[in-house]
Amino acid sequence: MSWLDGLRHRLDTLLHPGRYSAELDEEMRHHQDLARMHAPDADAARRQFGSATRYREQARDLTWLHLPDVVGQDLRGAWRGITRAPSLTLLVVGTLALGLGANAATFSILDALYLRPPAGVEDPATLRGWWIEHHRTGDGVPFTSAALNYPMYRALREARGPEARLALYVRDDPHLGRGLLGPKVDVVYASAGYFGVLGLRPALGRLYTADEDSLGAPAAVAVVSDAFWRSKLAGNPAVLGTPLQLGPKTFTIIGVLDGPFRGLDLQPADVWLPLAAITPPSWIEGPWWESDNPYYFHALERWNPALSDVAAEAQVTAALRALDQQRSGVRADTLLAAHVSSPLEARGPAKPRAEQQIAVRVGGIAVIVLVIAWANVINLLLAHALGRRREIALRLALGISRARLVRLLTLETLLIAGLAALAALGVAWAGGNALRALLLPEVSWATPALDWRAALFTAGVALASALVAGLIPALQASNPVLTETLKSAGPGSGRRRSRLRSALVMLQAALAVVLLVGAGLFVQSLRNVEGLDIGYDSGQLLFGDVQFEEGSEPPAALRAAQSAEIMARLQGRPGIEVVARTAMPPLYGFSFTTFYSGADSAGSLGVNLPTVAEVTPEFFQATGIRLLAGRTFTPSTSGAPLDEVVVNDATARLLWPGKDPLGQCLQFRARTNPCVPVVGVVETVRRERVLETESKGQFYLPVGSKWAYSAGETIVVRAAVNGTATASAQLLEELRRAFPAGLARVTPMTKNLEREYRPYRLGATLFTAFGLLALVVAVMGIYSTITYDVRQRTHEFGVRVALGAGMGTLVRQVVGEGLRTVSLGVLAGVAAAVAGGKLIAALLYGTAPGNPVVLAAVALVLLLVAALAAALPAWRAARTDPVVALKQD
Amino acid sequence: MPADPKSDLLPGTLEMLVLRTLTLGPLHGYAIAQHLAQVSDGVLVVEQGSLYPALERLLGSGLVTAKWGTSPTGRRARFYTITASGRKKLGQEIASFDATITAIAKVLGREVPAS
Repeated sequence: MSWLDGLRHRLDTLLHPGRYSAELDEEMRHHQDLARMHAPDADAARRQFGSATRYREQARDLTWLHLPDVVGQDLRGAWRGITRAPSLTLLVVGTLALGLGANAATFSILDALYLRPPAGVEDPATLRGWWIEHHRTGDGVPFTSAALNYPMYRALREARGPEARLALYVRDDPHLGRGLLGPKVDVVYASAGYFGVLGLRPALGRLYTADEDSLGAPAAVAVVSDAFWRSKLAGNPAVLGTPLQLGPKTFTIIGVLDGPFRGLDLQPADVWLPLAAITPPSWIEGPWWESDNPYYFHALERWNPALSDVAAEAQVTAALRALDQQRSGVRADTLLAAHVSSPLEARGPAKPRAEQQIAVRVGGIAVIVLVIAWANVINLLLAHALGRRREIALRLALGISRARLVRLLTLETLLIAGLAALAALGVAWAGGNALRALLLPEVSWATPALDWRAALFTAGVALASALVAGLIPALQASNPVLTETLKSAGPGSGRRRSRLRSALVMLQAALAVVLLVGAGLFVQSLRNVEGLDIGYDSGQLLFGDVQFEEGSEPPAALRAAQSAEIMARLQGRPGIEVVARTAMPPLYGFSFTTFYSGADSAGSLGVNLPTVAEVTPEFFQATGIRLLAGRTFTPSTSGAPLDEVVVNDATARLLWPGKDPLGQCLQFRARTNPCVPVVGVVETVRRERVLETESKGQFYLPVGSKWAYSAGETIVVRAAVNGTATASAQLLEELRRAFPAGLARVTPMTKNLEREYRPYRLGATLFTAFGLLALVVAVMGIYSTITYDVRQRTHEFGVRVALGAGMGTLVRQVVGEGLRTVSLGVLAGVAAAVAGGKLIAALLYGTAPGNPVVLAAVALVLLLVAALAAALPAWRAARTDPVVALKQD
Repeated sequence: MPADPKSDLLPGTLEMLVLRTLTLGPLHGYAIAQHLAQVSDGVLVVEQGSLYPALERLLGSGLVTAKWGTSPTGRRARFYTITASGRKKLGQEIASFDATITAIAKVLGREVPAS
């Protein structure tokens, strides 16, 4: 490879300049010495050789040794070039950085959700998860979930046959160490087959076997991730055989996994325990694996690509339906079908979470922001290059070579591109972290917000964008008709290209409108959702409860007594208006109990079964639930409360349509039990969600009633206006005093509601942030274009001012011209927003993409801002002294 | 002695001559110069120092390689070796040289020298 030989020589010279000179000197001296020996005299020899200095220089010029000088000179020149117009450089770098950074940030989220397979899984393409489609919701809309119970898994395994490689797992996050104060650890209870299905091997020790995972007799063994071993166990090989305390349970570490595997979910897992070792809910009777109720397992299968998905799905669907029929008789066929798909949440067939849907749309708006940024950068650089035509023509006339000029301009662009890439990486990193915290705050990510692929991609696109945006004007500008440009740099010389720049401004305005309309719609939705009357005075409500470590809960009677005492102590304290107790905070969960009303059994009500809430008489006053008829519970002075029930309006209408509910009664648990009279009817409040499509039936039993299950451990405090902080502190203190062994917590109701408002808040926040970003970029575009145009027309303005044109006329004219361009863009943007609105329609509440108020408001805002952006340069131009303007060229 | 010693040779000729010389085997700078002087019977007068820029050019384009060794007199010297692409290049140069000479000879009405 001859060019390689040449390159090696050149690089060698470049890297060892000292050796190069020394060797050339030595060689020439040798030559001259030999020549002196053979020549008649020293003079003749010297003449024969010629000037050693000169030839040394000539040889040196042929090497790349002068390259650093040339490059340095060019770099300095280019740096001077870009720092001569610092505001332009900043604008271009800033615009590109924001546009690209926003994209990289959203890409990193979407990559994690949809694209990247979980690390460390062998052949992710043939790994499947089983999904179940149900239609058990109230409104009959089917939903799909990956959750199974153990009997379903057994049926699935039988249906798939002994050849199938299946595994079952469930996640948990117990506290590390004893008590509730230690950090939480993400654990996976997995069947022994899990490791084989995923292709995992131990780096140290071993994995657990099927024997150690036998139902009813699990071995207390644990396998940990490599990351956990390194960060939490100091990478010590001696951890094998040592205990791992997870709450009340002690496991023995038997192995460390090889490779980066940390589970299949976004939230990384660190410890794997035998599935048989799960802690089932305490209220399950009999072995959990025979129960329908731990309904939270996920089934994995290593797929054999030769098999048909459809046949397998049909087989499993039939098996599960048969199981359903056999176990729940009356509610058969609530399961529609089994599906085999990706085991990953975002890629499975379930309806995507709102956060996920928003993430995808944010990806879309990030692209729009990038297009706006590109349009702006091209616009700025075009204007700048046109403005430099005269300088460039002058330099060409002074003899700079065209090659050097293009090199300088390219280098300027490259420098800007490099700065933009650097800034974009910064924005991407910060933005990626912010977006993660905003969209998926519950995930503690195993990977940085910006991985090297995304970083490389961002830097690449930044370089490419800046180069493309910079090179077009550079090439155009380096090839001017010299004399013409020199002669007439002033009036009108840039006007020909202003059509392209107007189009770019229009595009920016249109896209900004689209994003701002989206922001407006989300803000309106958020306001609509937050403005809903959910039936509670949520602003003043605090809930206090105490958590205990598994197995160390105090007896229910003691808890009830302590809770009653706390209630009594808090009553009447400053900042506290009402104190009550309940089984669990509203909108936090619900519980069913069996009841009978007349001849109807609870089962015949099907999906609309009313739920029970156990509350003290003060609960209604505390929460602000209004009484519609009758009365609430009679406060009991001592002992068990009276046997009374309060129903909500929805329950009354469901059970006794057209009849007076007062005087009706309900039998609990068994038809033979005494009928409990309905003493009051309260309004129907939200039961599970802020946005409930139907009113949900609920009835209330007094805490301590013999039909109730709960001891009423949740203390409800209605704080005085401005008294939430003191009320919260007092409640927490009382809880801690009464239950020193537990972990007391006080939660404002607004916090429980926040997860309901979150999707709308997210949409509003993100669309507003991007919309404002787009607006700022678009305004910069409008401003710079008009500034440039006006500068080009300084001469014209001078003439007109000299001829007596008023300042108002000139400003009106310039602003009018600017607004004409912008309003075309706004019109296009409004049309695009209406057309594209269906992409977010499903995420809105109480408003629609065509909302005229939002459209009009956004159009008005954009025109107003554009008018301001145009007025400033116009005003400056109109103030120019005609003498100066006319003399300028 | 001409005022400009370079004017004796057309550009690129010296490189061609050096390549041709190196087909004899690896040589150091002085040996190349000696060979050129002897073979051309002193007709091609060139300052010997100009050999070094020419060699640098050949090195940079990979037509020759250089290696330090010991000369017959026992001194350290740099020996140049023609590479495969150097030989190829030399062939091309000689062919185009022949074509030029033939053309010039024809224009001058001289007999075409047999090559």
